[in-house]
Amino acid sequence: MAIYVLRKLVFFLGAIFIASLAIFLLIRGAGGNVAAVVLGKGATPEAINALAHTYGLDQPLAVQYFDWVGNMLSGDLGRSFRTNERVSDLVTARLSVSIPLALSGLILGLLIAIPVGTYAARNVGTPSGAILALVSQIGVAVPVFWAGILLSLLFGVRLGWLPTGGWTDWSVSIWGAIRSLVLPVLSLGLIMAAVLIRYVRSAVLDVMNQDYLRTARAVGMTRTEALLKVGLRNASLPLVTIVGLQIAELIGGTVIIETVFSLPGLSRMMLANVAAREVIVVQSTVMLIIIFVIAVNLLVDLLYGILDPRVRSSR
Amino acid sequence: MTKPQQDRAQDRTNVLEVANLVVHNTTLTAVRGIDFTLPAGGRMGLVGESGSGKTLTALSLMGLLPMGWQANGSVRHDGVDLIAQSDKALSSRRGRTLSMVFQDPLSSLDPVRRIGQQVSSVIRRHTDAGKKEAERQTLELFRLMSLPRPEQLMRAYPHEISGGQRQRVMIAMALACYPQLIIADEPTTALDVTVQKQVLRLLNTAVQERGSALIMITHDLPIIAAMCDTVAVMYAGKIVEMGPVAEVFRSPRHHYTKGLLESQPTMDNIALDGSSRLASIPGMVPPLHSLPKGCAFHPRCSAATERCRTEIPQLEPGARRTACWHPIAAPAEAAIQAGVSAS
Amino acid sequence: MTMNQPSPMSAPAGVPISPPQRKPRRKLPRNASLLIGLVLTALFLAIALISFFYLPSNPNIPVIRNRLLPAGTPGHWLGTDVLGRDIIAQLMVGARTSILVGAGGATFSLILGTIAGLAAAASGKITDEAISRGSDILLAIPGMVTALVLAATMGSGALTTILALTAFFTPSFTRVIRSAAMGVLNEDFITAAKLYGRGKIFVLARHVLPNIAGVMIVQFTLYFAAGILTEAGLSYLGVGVHRPSISWGLMLNEAQQQVGVSSPLAIWPGFAIVLMVLGLNLLGDGLRDVLDPKLARRAS
Repeated sequence: MAIYVLRKLVFFLGAIFIASLAIFLLIRGAGGNVAAVVLGKGATPEAINALAHTYGLDQPLAVQYFDWVGNMLSGDLGRSFRTNERVSDLVTARLSVSIPLALSGLILGLLIAIPVGTYAARNVGTPSGAILALVSQIGVAVPVFWAGILLSLLFGVRLGWLPTGGWTDWSVSIWGAIRSLVLPVLSLGLIMAAVLIRYVRSAVLDVMNQDYLRTARAVGMTRTEALLKVGLRNASLPLVTIVGLQIAELIGGTVIIETVFSLPGLSRMMLANVAAREVIVVQSTVMLIIIFVIAVNLLVDLLYGILDPRVRSSR
Repeated sequence: MTKPQQDRAQDRTNVLEVANLVVHNTTLTAVRGIDFTLPAGGRMGLVGESGSGKTLTALSLMGLLPMGWQANGSVRHDGVDLIAQSDKALSSRRGRTLSMVFQDPLSSLDPVRRIGQQVSSVIRRHTDAGKKEAERQTLELFRLMSLPRPEQLMRAYPHEISGGQRQRVMIAMALACYPQLIIADEPTTALDVTVQKQVLRLLNTAVQERGSALIMITHDLPIIAAMCDTVAVMYAGKIVEMGPVAEVFRSPRHHYTKGLLESQPTMDNIALDGSSRLASIPGMVPPLHSLPKGCAFHPRCSAATERCRTEIPQLEPGARRTACWHPIAAPAEAAIQAGVSAS
Repeated sequence: MTMNQPSPMSAPAGVPISPPQRKPRRKLPRNASLLIGLVLTALFLAIALISFFYLPSNPNIPVIRNRLLPAGTPGHWLGTDVLGRDIIAQLMVGARTSILVGAGGATFSLILGTIAGLAAAASGKITDEAISRGSDILLAIPGMVTALVLAATMGSGALTTILALTAFFTPSFTRVIRSAAMGVLNEDFITAAKLYGRGKIFVLARHVLPNIAGVMIVQFTLYFAAGILTEAGLSYLGVGVHRPSISWGLMLNEAQQQVGVSSPLAIWPGFAIVLMVLGLNLLGDGLRDVLDPKLARRAS
């Protein structure tokens, strides 16, 4: 197990290094003169040079890269060109919206997908199984923002039960914050579920055909008991991997849902900064998101090692 | 010697009475009506080529048929008809009065649970033994199966031990609750040749020690000769010949049994110089969806007549049973017949 | 989901049954999936083609007196938007954009992924490890993030979107192609070809490529669909295509911004996206069953 953990840690650090290099080169390399981009077309060369100097943009690329990485390691994510706000402050202020949204969306998705997917696997070849397969096939084709729009049309506009958008902060009213999250979480969760159901279904189907499930029944479990006690534990192995892979997708969905429901989350901030060409803010925020995704994948790998003894001893 | 075992030794009723067992799915019938009885502590071998319905027969006895398959007929065991039981009622019998050892021990053990846990949970499920007691019994079983270092084995995972050891663990699990009947479905086919014998020997003694009856499914006739008292030969979903092992093997009455016996390699008929006399049965096992009319074996049978092509022969009653219109005669006559047909 | 990646595993594995007789294949539902997929895809391709020759009216020119006509109005059967532009005309041009961007992203990533995947499968352990680990890392970068970064540096538009899709899809393509090619390379006839003295490139081009063509077609179809979803999401966010190009995602963006969420205009483009994506996914699944039954069982 120790070697397994060590391998995964090395991969984790390597991945972060390569990702940071890729992001940096993409933004600084492909973007051309950052200061000129930020100031826009009408800027004088003097103003551009001054800005470049203030932010160290006139240094060689390698120096800039190491400055950036060094600063990030010490917790300094840089400042906005326009407002001079610290990126770290900008980000933390938004997390109280984005994290509950993304996490609840994922959990709701799993809560729907695991029982429904298991049911679908047990009913392969029956009409109800076929209907479920069709519904999830359609669900996968629904863009998350359209799901959001439809849900807000129904529950917000038609029925008037919930706000169609906007945000009541936790500090103002916890109940209000929850109310503003219900529809976003529902949209995200339903679409995640549609994607996950297919994975759960095929994972369970795979496990159902395994000999050890028959053995479990041969020593005294009923069909259902064997599936729940032995099957789900084994099916959770591929699922853990899938959930890890879905994190990237979850973030994409969160970005969009925040826009649909006008929530002041991380991604709304990102979008505003993309529009304003706030290169440093975008660069650091993107890096944070990527570190988050890679860290989740590391956790997933470690969890896999705990769940599956074969992985632990063979690698 | 434990008490249930002694009781059973005196009780000579049948552990299994199978009557007109049919196994089918929506399009195919794989087992086409078989009957046999197995006395308590008795040992029956079930032979036949792959596709003859041996495994589905075994699975139907356990109530473990794959999805889409269904069994009809009656299987009396321990005072109940197994076919009529619900999955829940059957599950309380599986592992307790009835158990089964499967072909591939690696895929048959749960890969993510420790071996000790897997075996002792069976004991805890079916008896009122506590955790400690179940673990003690598990260790005892591991010793019965001559597994090395049983204490360490308790904490091992299936992938960490050898194939032979895994199968011994499977057997231990099957025998954990002193079942009245244990079904072994080709228990050594997936193992290395070098450990097959050892596993069979251990299975043999352990089954004896626990006083269980045994149904041994295999296509390996010497195994049956060594381990069973009776043998049933299956062909295309039917039993074609049944009787005491020694008699059936010495003088087979069904032409299929005879062919099967002649196609077994022995030291006598293996010749390395190319003059091998190993016989084979001409033709192939017919697919279930297009079985020939009459006796299913007739297209491959040298003795087939018009009657074989139209009427299905049934097993005649008695200790020595054959389903054939033209059974091979007893040895004395057979010698004469052989002389005639050779000319 | 907008950053959807096609699922690598789907389609039930056949229940292994003791006797070797095969269960009769349930042909109808499989073929139904292929058939419906084909019809839907062909329908949208046809609409996109027709849009080059015929449009009910110009989808970009505002006609104020026609603002917000309801569906069913003669001449504007699905109504008009807040600027009086015909919905049907916009949907038709939107199909064009979806197909262009989706197919563009899928094509480029297919080409790059095939090159990288074949290189990984056919080269030594170090190259393979580098390419495999590299695509693992790139897979961890959310596609949405890539798209935002590109939009921040290059400005948004159809081309940027295609590039973002390419960056997003290539690692997954690489993985799939690599594992499919590995499978073929382990076959005996490849060993035979090598013994014959065939060069690596020859073996790859002559033996491996034709054998993984099925996988490539299926993957292309599924990523085509994923690309359409992603493009719709990006355009909805305002970092995808913009006028005078029209995209279904853009139409939804405008519908929601201009008249609030109560707009029935938010219905039609959504339907178009769902039907087109559903069609391609069904087509992909159907093709998978026809072309490559083994792929369906491939463990991820």
